[in-house]
Amino acid sequence: MLDNLTILEASKLIDEKKVSALEITNSYLKKIEDSKKLNCFITVSHDKAVHAAKETDNRVSKNNRIGPMDGIPLAYKDLFCTKDTLTTASSKILSNFIPTYESTVTNNCINKGAITLGKLNCDEFAMGSTNKTSFYGPVVNPWKSLDSDEELVPGGSSGGSAASVAADLCIASIGTDTGGSIRQPASFTGAVGLKPTYGRVSRWGTIAFASSLDQAGPISKTVEDAAILLQTISGHDNKDSTSSQRPNEHYFSNLNSSVKNLKIGIPKEYMSDDLPLEIQNYWNEGKKILSENGAEIIEISLPHTKTALPAYYIIAPAEASSNLSRYDGVKYGLRTNEKNLIKMYESTRSDGFGDEVKRRIMIGTYVLSSGYYDAYYLKAQKIRSLIKKDFDNVFKDVNAILTPATPNTAFAIDKEEKDPVKNYLNDIFTVPINLAGLPAISIPFGLDKKGLPVGMQLITNSFEEQLLLNIAKNIQDSINFKNEPKCWWK
Amino acid sequence: MEFDKNSTIKLAKLARLSVNDNQLNSLEKDLKSILKFIDQLKEINTEDIDPTSNSLDQKLILRDDIAENTLSNEDLLKNVPESELGFFVVPKVIE
Repeated sequence: MLDNLTILEASKLIDEKKVSALEITNSYLKKIEDSKKLNCFITVSHDKAVHAAKETDNRVSKNNRIGPMDGIPLAYKDLFCTKDTLTTASSKILSNFIPTYESTVTNNCINKGAITLGKLNCDEFAMGSTNKTSFYGPVVNPWKSLDSDEELVPGGSSGGSAASVAADLCIASIGTDTGGSIRQPASFTGAVGLKPTYGRVSRWGTIAFASSLDQAGPISKTVEDAAILLQTISGHDNKDSTSSQRPNEHYFSNLNSSVKNLKIGIPKEYMSDDLPLEIQNYWNEGKKILSENGAEIIEISLPHTKTALPAYYIIAPAEASSNLSRYDGVKYGLRTNEKNLIKMYESTRSDGFGDEVKRRIMIGTYVLSSGYYDAYYLKAQKIRSLIKKDFDNVFKDVNAILTPATPNTAFAIDKEEKDPVKNYLNDIFTVPINLAGLPAISIPFGLDKKGLPVGMQLITNSFEEQLLLNIAKNIQDSINFKNEPKCWWK
Repeated sequence: MEFDKNSTIKLAKLARLSVNDNQLNSLEKDLKSILKFIDQLKEINTEDIDPTSNSLDQKLILRDDIAENTLSNEDLLKNVPESELGFFVVPKVIE
């Protein structure tokens, strides 16, 4: 009864007093205990979780349950600061950091009664799309190829957030998405991953990677759960000056799966001969489903699509190099012993950061340095305007856009990619959306011939998360995908 | 300017990273590859285009300038590698 629970199902069980929050929590803690091979968790908050579950049960006994999140065990990417619980960003440089405050996102969940199971592994400072850059080692995808026993990447950077949902180690999780870091791993693991509009969810207390792109969002088993979670974590926050003042919406109660008379755009720039045939086929199936359910499919053009990745690899490293300058061994985190201040900075940072983080800091330093700023950073910001304008134009004609979420399915952890640029291509379908600040969702569509999940991406205009969730629900209900990888890790 | 070993050394210095000779070669290769990738943008005409620094259509929201109690001195120093008398301690700067 306690396997593969969604938020809705667990909430019903708790409401009807069929199962206690403590029983559900203990069942998940046991699953986490048995899943060490997947390496999803950096920290398991056993005592905190048990304590919170007892509090829920106490409220339930007095018929005072807060709402659908009360008693729901969640886990968070280790990028969200959690009071008195180790928060590492999967980096050695923060491997001893215990925040004295709670991020707005986790605080919002806790205030609604959600239970914190622990902190999830991810790429170091969210930089990567394989989860291989983590100081704590790679997360292993619970899915395996039909014809091979090799371990696969879960995608990244929210690899632990996606894999833990796919392996049912938590009911749902929260990740962050700077260039695809929620949608790509969700796609690789058969989960639902939602990146909200920039400004919808507060960034306060979330360890910064690229501040103009970072956005937190849910990874869940269903679209309904994504709606409940978005409602839980979003809303204006005084502590984040880019947090939107628009009122929070009731995404779940307003969920309506009709797509009748909606116009769905298919961007021709996303089509390519390199796209694996099975991904093309699922994309076509998506068009077919939406059209059969009453939507109109329209070919559209986003002419600056190709410029998005290079622009992203200027903007994101530039902001990262600035954000990560705070890790200097003075106020918190790792510090190596040196008698000279500059040497202390240099050796602390060299010892504390991994290779990918160092590369991005150096690229960011380069594009921001005197004499190069206009040629790179300013240029990329202008390209960003062009990309945003592409979407603005298209949304005059269509309500939403349907694309594949990723250009591939999960690949082997052992596959060594020497050229960093090749790894960056994993995010080709997701990065433009971050540059334009739009909301997008990755939903599982089916399996490829190797038996690995394929995800599709829906995109809507800014702050149209309700419409996004509605269309996603329509697709979900039409395809009936079962996210149940064979359990080999116990 | 051609990106070379000296550029890598200079960048590492600016970024406060120490890089040994072994790392230098592979780092130079990686950075060259990334720079080649982002250099594609030079072909795009961006004359008369305004830059976008973030995608939000709203002004930066500022709080009222009122002092609040946030983190205590004790909380601020909880994660400090070295402190004394309530201050952060760094290696000696002035001889």
